Amino acid sequence: MKSKWLSFFSIGLLALISLTVVLLTPPPASAIPAFSRKYGTSCTTCHSDFPKLNDFGKAFKDAGFKFPKDDESFLKQPPVLLGAPAQAELWPRTVYPGVIPGTIPAGLRYNTYYQQVSSNRNNFNLALPAGTVGDFVPKTDFQPGLFSIFTAGNFGSGIAFWVDDDISVAGANVNGALGDGYLKFHDLSRFLKMPTDSLNLRAGQFELDLPFSQARTWNLSGWDIFGQANIGVQNGLIPQFVNNGSALENAANGVEFSGGHAYQGYHYSAAVFDQNTSGVNVSPSNIGPQNGVAFNSDANFKDLYGRFVYRFNLEKDPVSRNDVQAAGTTGPRDHTFLSLGTFYFYGRTAQNVSGVLSDGITPTVLTAREPFYRIGGDVNFNYRNLNVFGVYVAAHDHNLVPVTASGAQGITGFAPGPAATFSGGFAEADYLALPWAMTIMRWDQVKSSADRINFLQYDPAAPPGSSFLSPYAATRNRFTPGEQFLIHANIKTSVEYQIMPPQVVYDPVTGALIKGPFRTNALVVGLEFVY
Amino acid sequence: MKKKFLVSFAVMTTLGTASFAGTIHGKVSGVSGESVVYVEAVPGKTFPAPTQHVTIDQKGLMFVPHITAVEQGTTVEFLNSDSVAHNVFWPSISGNKKLGHNLGTWPKGQRQSFKFDNPGVVSLLCNVHPEMAAYVIVSPTPYFAETNAAGEFKIENVPDGAYSVTAWHEGAKNKSNPVKVAGDTAADFTLSK
Repeated sequence: MKSKWLSFFSIGLLALISLTVVLLTPPPASAIPAFSRKYGTSCTTCHSDFPKLNDFGKAFKDAGFKFPKDDESFLKQPPVLLGAPAQAELWPRTVYPGVIPGTIPAGLRYNTYYQQVSSNRNNFNLALPAGTVGDFVPKTDFQPGLFSIFTAGNFGSGIAFWVDDDISVAGANVNGALGDGYLKFHDLSRFLKMPTDSLNLRAGQFELDLPFSQARTWNLSGWDIFGQANIGVQNGLIPQFVNNGSALENAANGVEFSGGHAYQGYHYSAAVFDQNTSGVNVSPSNIGPQNGVAFNSDANFKDLYGRFVYRFNLEKDPVSRNDVQAAGTTGPRDHTFLSLGTFYFYGRTAQNVSGVLSDGITPTVLTAREPFYRIGGDVNFNYRNLNVFGVYVAAHDHNLVPVTASGAQGITGFAPGPAATFSGGFAEADYLALPWAMTIMRWDQVKSSADRINFLQYDPAAPPGSSFLSPYAATRNRFTPGEQFLIHANIKTSVEYQIMPPQVVYDPVTGALIKGPFRTNALVVGLEFVY
Repeated sequence: MKKKFLVSFAVMTTLGTASFAGTIHGKVSGVSGESVVYVEAVPGKTFPAPTQHVTIDQKGLMFVPHITAVEQGTTVEFLNSDSVAHNVFWPSISGNKKLGHNLGTWPKGQRQSFKFDNPGVVSLLCNVHPEMAAYVIVSPTPYFAETNAAGEFKIENVPDGAYSVTAWHEGAKNKSNPVKVAGDTAADFTLSK
């Protein structure tokens, strides 16, 4: 029994460390200096506090990284023609003419960090057996950040491109290395006589159309709910066999249809894509080279994602209300707006395990296909320099628990178990006190049954006492006040203090109280620049 | 008789001097590019406000022209030729923040007018495109000129007399020199940043 507890604890510890890393590792972000060079304009034309987009930046992105109107009149670097425009008349007897940017549309970014972690940072080691070397979290730490390259622009004919890569690290998307890499065909609706911008197509690797981009968040730390996977362990207390590594922030490979605008009215997207949903590591049995090409999918099933949001600009004057930016008395500004949105993610994990046939002897591979969904809603309100927004997500994974028939020598099948669920979200308020100073207050919460298994080995017959902020280990709360300063339009320093309320947890072996073993407050300071 | 002649000569000389229109020409050196040279206010002398309006355009995320010299009392029309919203404001006139002003927002093709009644240097800015900048040099007299790229200037129709003449250049310190105008008069300036 003791070894079983220790096994659980080890898994929990692993997950804890992963969680700690996730919480303390600032996500990548981006602003595009290439556009500054191309148009001879400041970062603040599109960003209120880079990489947070203002309304004009949203319209610029919606238009395919172009000015919404008369783009050519703003160019300071003319594009290179890949064929005279008149060649279009010869198509299909010639290659359709396009353009490439006049200079390489690349921007670079570097960041560096300093962290200071509260005194309970190593408490979890108290639960390790005597003499065990535990992980060590230093009180203070200077950290290298990411060195990233961003390329983006437009090839003409409404075809936009984006590729970003964190050169200095391995991984994918929000975890570094290749982030988004896609072509986006804008306004296909013009060929179908549909309303302008009502149909776009994006293909490649991209972040899902989340209400707020985790890959391009302006915060030092990402929103917890977007990074939440549903990875449980099989155990006797709460039978759970869910090993779903899918998180909303993960990179998706596939195609996405979208339409509408981010700065007013409706916006929708519908994507068909692959994500790795087989757990933390892709199963070697599901992925491998085939004629030199490695598969990304770990199942035949394609994941689906859809989003719809409607934004109400609230200016009384219809001209101002419908323009890209509102007409303020002292200059154009972001709209006062309220947007309401919803999103839905449907996927299916495939977990292969070694088992036996019904004879109870003959080895075979059994596959558990577990459908899952994520459903959420979001609200976003902006009044002048105050932006308040939030997201709520509910997650549900079908749970097939391996069963062993009487007398069999291995797993013979699966039986439905209690669903593995989590829910939570965040609320955030950003106040741009000055054009170069933004105050942030965040609250993140994640309630996860998988977390309960991973992080708390409690006796269900005698559950621990609960506190208001952290009723069980299944609930993680985080309050994160922060401040960000633009030293220049392309240089930013940020500070945030992550407050994670202490939690009541008992040593599973001794029963001794361990208070707040992995709710570690952290001060994070970042310095970054793009050029 | 001799005395009468001398008195008559003195009166005619004075009147003649007052009615002669001279020219100030010269060169602004020490800086490169366009500068503005103008005659400072003449005590006791006022000039009617010009009736002709001057236009400054916002086009391609730039003010066009970058430097505009006008006489005090001139009305300047700010045109937005861009398909993005712009703004025009100036935080001060020659450092006097009380004279700062914001003209707000207006869409493509429309104009906003402002009459510059206070002389000085007006730094035009756009609060959504911080890289945009331009200057309006409001001369207290109608005697001003913009230099060419070589720094050469010529102010015509300046009545003969003693004046203070100022040279302005973007980013440089103004320099004022006393100039006694008598017909075609030379006045050179050397500015430094």
